[in-house]
Amino acid sequence: MSFLIAQSLINGVILGTLYLLMAIGFTLAFGVMRIVNFAHGEFYMVGAFCALIGVTWLGLPFPVTLALTIAVAILLGALVERVVFRPFRNDELSGMIASLGLAMILQHGALILFGPDPQAFPALVSGVFKWGALIVPKSRALALGVGIVILLIFYIFLMHTRHGRALRAIVQDQEVAAVFGVRLEIMYPLGLGLGVALAAVAGGLMAPLFGVSPFIGATPLLKAFIVVILGGLGSIPGAALAAILLGLIESFTSSFVSASAADIVTFALVIVVLLVRPAGLLGRAEA
Amino acid sequence: MSMSATSSAPAFQPMTVVWIAGIVLAALIPWFTGSVFHFHIAIMVCISAMATGGLAVIAWVGQLSLAHAAFAGIGAYTSVLLVTRLDVPVLLGLPAGALVAGAVAFIIGAPLLRLRGVYFVLITFALNELFRLIMLDIPEFSGGSSGIAGIPKISLFGVTLSNYQSVYPFALFCLALVMGLLVLIRRGQLGRRFAAVEENLALAESSGIPTAKTQTIAFTIGSAIAGFSGAFLAHYVGFISPETFGFQLSVSYVIMLVTGGRLALWGPLVGALFLTPLPEFLRGAVEYQHVIYGVVLIAVLRFLPRGLAGLPRQLSRKGGRG
Repeated sequence: MSFLIAQSLINGVILGTLYLLMAIGFTLAFGVMRIVNFAHGEFYMVGAFCALIGVTWLGLPFPVTLALTIAVAILLGALVERVVFRPFRNDELSGMIASLGLAMILQHGALILFGPDPQAFPALVSGVFKWGALIVPKSRALALGVGIVILLIFYIFLMHTRHGRALRAIVQDQEVAAVFGVRLEIMYPLGLGLGVALAAVAGGLMAPLFGVSPFIGATPLLKAFIVVILGGLGSIPGAALAAILLGLIESFTSSFVSASAADIVTFALVIVVLLVRPAGLLGRAEA
Repeated sequence: MSMSATSSAPAFQPMTVVWIAGIVLAALIPWFTGSVFHFHIAIMVCISAMATGGLAVIAWVGQLSLAHAAFAGIGAYTSVLLVTRLDVPVLLGLPAGALVAGAVAFIIGAPLLRLRGVYFVLITFALNELFRLIMLDIPEFSGGSSGIAGIPKISLFGVTLSNYQSVYPFALFCLALVMGLLVLIRRGQLGRRFAAVEENLALAESSGIPTAKTQTIAFTIGSAIAGFSGAFLAHYVGFISPETFGFQLSVSYVIMLVTGGRLALWGPLVGALFLTPLPEFLRGAVEYQHVIYGVVLIAVLRFLPRGLAGLPRQLSRKGGRG
């Protein structure tokens, strides 16, 4: 029994880290631009295809591929901000509806380019780590390790650089930030670009584990959505807490009850949190 | 979005006559061509327009529901289960579907509608997902992921509407009823209350309008219409599953509503009329269809904030505010 608990704990942390990668970009887009981005999951899909193209078509090493994926995603995110979202800056609802259209364009664009069939991704590492009865596949450990490194780099960027401070300032109060010289024309595309780049990295990291197809964006979007609601829209610390919590809930309910029970429990939780505390577990109240 | 002034317009503007004439002509197309395929498309337009009409009623109080497909699903399952398990006539199953969907909306409406703007969209999105998951989890009622097939066709007083040509007049009749209800609401006191709530909730509240009750009424009526359209869809297509009423269906209703015009009386009809036939004429290029949907949606949001139904008005104002 204690072994099952320990195994669930490890699996939960791995899941939670990946959910956090997805959720930060989603919550950042809302915090900075007040956009609920229903296309966020499609950038996970785009990242997975970038990794596939880099590794299998171009024969690049995985780290180089990931770096290129990030660059492509930042550019794509900035472009999307300019073309799709900018006209709706003061209209949350229209921005959100536009993101539904963007998601359709990206998903079915990928369908036109790559076809509907799932594509296999060559395994990067094989084998497992073993501690007594505990088993962690090396491929998952690798995804977890890289994910944590990327989250740390992003944390340092956010807390200790000029642009990171500017982004946090906009999340707190856009007008005051602008008065103090934060240039929204640069920070908006940067914020969305970085956010979707994190989703794309998650896609690239997960591609060797789950394969690649145009439809893989839906589940990560749902997870990001759950995490961000639980943590509070726009709150990064809230997202961190909720991501680990969700990973653990899913891992434990699917070990001890069933996977479908895990989904129902989390969605019921989301509805309760929205009703009782719309600002999330750690979020600040809306003005 | 301060354009609720349209609701106080006189009953017969020249524009309204043009709209009605255009819609009547479009409705006659299948009889001119005689093509079974065109009858099918026309029936699908009627069903989509009814569902989108329900979504419009909710939009009139300023709320956008992403749970609309779930309410269509509640109506569909209610009618199908009544008809197949309890031998209830389909003609009673359809209103029963509307009734149950409306009742569910009424019960859960009050707490949900305290949320506004994107928060309401998010909670309805979560509700739609919860509906799908729960239905998948009770296969003894829902048929699980393989769904329920062989659903009885609609029959009126013992006459089964077995082919497309006979379903279409009934679909038109139902659509006319729904649109008639929309016109009644819009022109009546309730419509003015809806518009007041949509435009300025705080002002409406302080002018003595019971805003919470008003929103619940709109949500209940709109969701009941969704339930009716879902039941109609189920008996027309003959197959339903929890996946039929997923996120994608809710999104397509939103796209039709926004494309037609979020606050325009004829918006739902125009949106359904414009977007439903589009995929059918792009067969063999289904991927392009969705890309086109996405582009149309973003373009309409950007350049026609009042939707296609607002286009003539926008043009006549020398470029409007676009």
